[in-house]
Amino acid sequence: MRRAPRLNLSGILINAAALVLVLSYALPYIYLLMTSIKPAADVQQIPPSFFPAVVSFENFREVLQSSTLPRAFVNSLTVAVLTTALSLSVAVPAAYVATQYRRRITTIFLLFALVTRMVPSVALGVPLFQLLKSVGLLDTIPGLVLAHTSAAVPLALLLMSAFFEGIPKELEEAARMDGCTRFQAFRKIVLPVMKGGIAVTALFTFITSWNEFLYALLLTSEATKTAPIVIAEYNSVYGLAWGAMTAAAVLYSLPVIIVTLALQKQIVGGLTFGAVKG
Amino acid sequence: MSGEDRFVLCMLAPAVAILGVLVAYPVGLLVLDSFFKVDTITPHLREWVGLQNYVDALTSKRVAESALRTVQYSVFALFFEFTFGFCAALLFSALAGQSRWHRTIFALPLMVPPIVAGLLWRFLLVGNIGILNYGLVRLGLISDPEAIAWLSSKDIVIYSVSFADIWLTTSFVALVSFAGLTNIPKDLLEAARIDGANALKRFWHVTLPLMRPVIAVVVIVRGVDAAKTFDLIWIQTQGGPSHASEVFSMNIYQRMVRFGDLGEASASGTLFLIVMMLLAAVAYWKIWRPVHA
Repeated sequence: MRRAPRLNLSGILINAAALVLVLSYALPYIYLLMTSIKPAADVQQIPPSFFPAVVSFENFREVLQSSTLPRAFVNSLTVAVLTTALSLSVAVPAAYVATQYRRRITTIFLLFALVTRMVPSVALGVPLFQLLKSVGLLDTIPGLVLAHTSAAVPLALLLMSAFFEGIPKELEEAARMDGCTRFQAFRKIVLPVMKGGIAVTALFTFITSWNEFLYALLLTSEATKTAPIVIAEYNSVYGLAWGAMTAAAVLYSLPVIIVTLALQKQIVGGLTFGAVKG
Repeated sequence: MSGEDRFVLCMLAPAVAILGVLVAYPVGLLVLDSFFKVDTITPHLREWVGLQNYVDALTSKRVAESALRTVQYSVFALFFEFTFGFCAALLFSALAGQSRWHRTIFALPLMVPPIVAGLLWRFLLVGNIGILNYGLVRLGLISDPEAIAWLSSKDIVIYSVSFADIWLTTSFVALVSFAGLTNIPKDLLEAARIDGANALKRFWHVTLPLMRPVIAVVVIVRGVDAAKTFDLIWIQTQGGPSHASEVFSMNIYQRMVRFGDLGEASASGTLFLIVMMLLAAVAYWKIWRPVHA
C-alpha cells in the first residue's frame, strides 16, 4: 500500500534530513568524477573548484595509453572471473548440503567458514606467500586466484547458505519421488530455482576479488599486477599524479557501480539477507 | 555409510579441500613459524626459539602502539558508521515507500573499491589542495584552509584516516539496519502507541530490543573488518607520519616485508587472530544471546 506524501512539518524535516545525508555521501564520489574530466593542469589548482571550468579527457587518454594500466585491468578481470568460477563451484554444493542435510559435520563446517572471516588477510598473507613460493605459483595469475579464493569461498558459502535456507526441503523430496537421484535433484531442480541467489553471490565474489589489494601487493610483481596496485602507484611512484589517478579510479570503479545499480534490488536484498542470516 | 551420508560428503569435499589447503594449512604454518626465528632476507636463518617471538611482540613498544591505534581507529570508525547508518535507516524507514531513491544513492559508496575510497579521501584531505578545508572555510568553521592538517598531524591522523572507512561502510550499516527495521511487526509499535508510549519510549522499549540481533551482526562484521583494515590506511598515509597511523595489520606487514622478520610477524599474526576470535565470541554472547534466552 502506498502512503500519501506527508506534508506536515515532521514530514518535511525528515525529507530534508534524508536529502542532506544522501547528498553528503554522494558528493565525494561526484567530486572524483568532476576532477577526472578536468584538464590535468587544473586538478591541483588553488583554491580547488568543484566543477571543471573546461571538460577534458586528457587524464583518461593518459592512463589508457600507459602500458601498465590496461594490462592490469586484464589481470584483474582474469583473476576475478577465475576466482568467482572456482569459489562458486565448490561453495554452492557445500552450502546446499550444509543447509538441506544438516549433520554435525556440516554445522562444524559452516562454523569454520564463519571463523575464517575473522582471519586478518595480513596474517594469512604471510604463510600464503611461503606456500605459493614453495609450489612455484608466486607472482602468477593462478597463484593470485588461489589467494583470492581463500577469502571468496567463506563469503560465497555464507551468502549461499542464506539463500538455500529459503527453499523448502520438499522441493528436493518431490524430485526424488519422480525418480531423480540426489545429485540430479540438486542439478536439475534446485540449481535452476536458485539462479538469482547464485547470480548475486557470483557478483559479490567478483567484486571482492576485483577490489582486493593486500594479496596482490604481497604476491605479484610487474607482469601480474592488478589494477588497484597500479592505481595506488599513481600516487607514490609518479609523484602526485592526481589527474591520472582520478581517471584511473573512475575507470576502475565505474563498471562495478553501473552493474550494481542495474541489479540494485537483488544485490541489496542479497547483501542484507546474507549479513543478517550469516 | 548410507547413500545420503556419501552424498553429503561428496558435495562438501571440494570446499573442505579448498579451505583446508588455502586457510587451515596456512594458519597452521603461521602458528608454526611463530616459534622460529626466521630471516627471509639475508642470511637465510630458521631456528627454533620457543615463545621468544611472543615475548618480543608483547614487550615491543611499537607493537603495543600499533595495537592501541587499531583500537582507536576501529572504535572511532564503528561509532560514526553505526550512528550515521542507524540514523539513516530510521529516516528511510520513516519515509517508507518514498525512500527508494535515497537508498539507491546512499548505497553508492558500498560499490566503491576501498583503494579508490582511500585515494579519494586522501585527495579531499591533503594539505593546500584538499577541498574539505576550503569547504570548512566557506562555512566559516575555520579561517585558513591549512588550519587543520588532517593527514600530516600526528595527533589526529589515526582519526582522519577513518573518514574513508566511515564513508565507505555507513551504507552497509544503513541497509542492514533498514532491513531489520522493516521486519519489526507494525502492530507491536501500534500497541505501544495505544498504551500511551511516546516515540522515544517506543524506540527504546520496542524497536531497540527487537533490533538486537541485527545490531550484533553489524557490530561484529564491521568491528572485525575495521580492525583488519590495511588498504584504506596504507593508501592514505602508508602508516605515517612517523608511524602515527600504523595499525596492527600494517605493523605485521612492515615487519614481514621490510624487515623479513617472518617469525615475529607470525607471532603477531597469531595473536591478532586469537584476539579477533575472542572479541567476536564476546560480542556474540553479550549482544546476541539474551534475545534467544
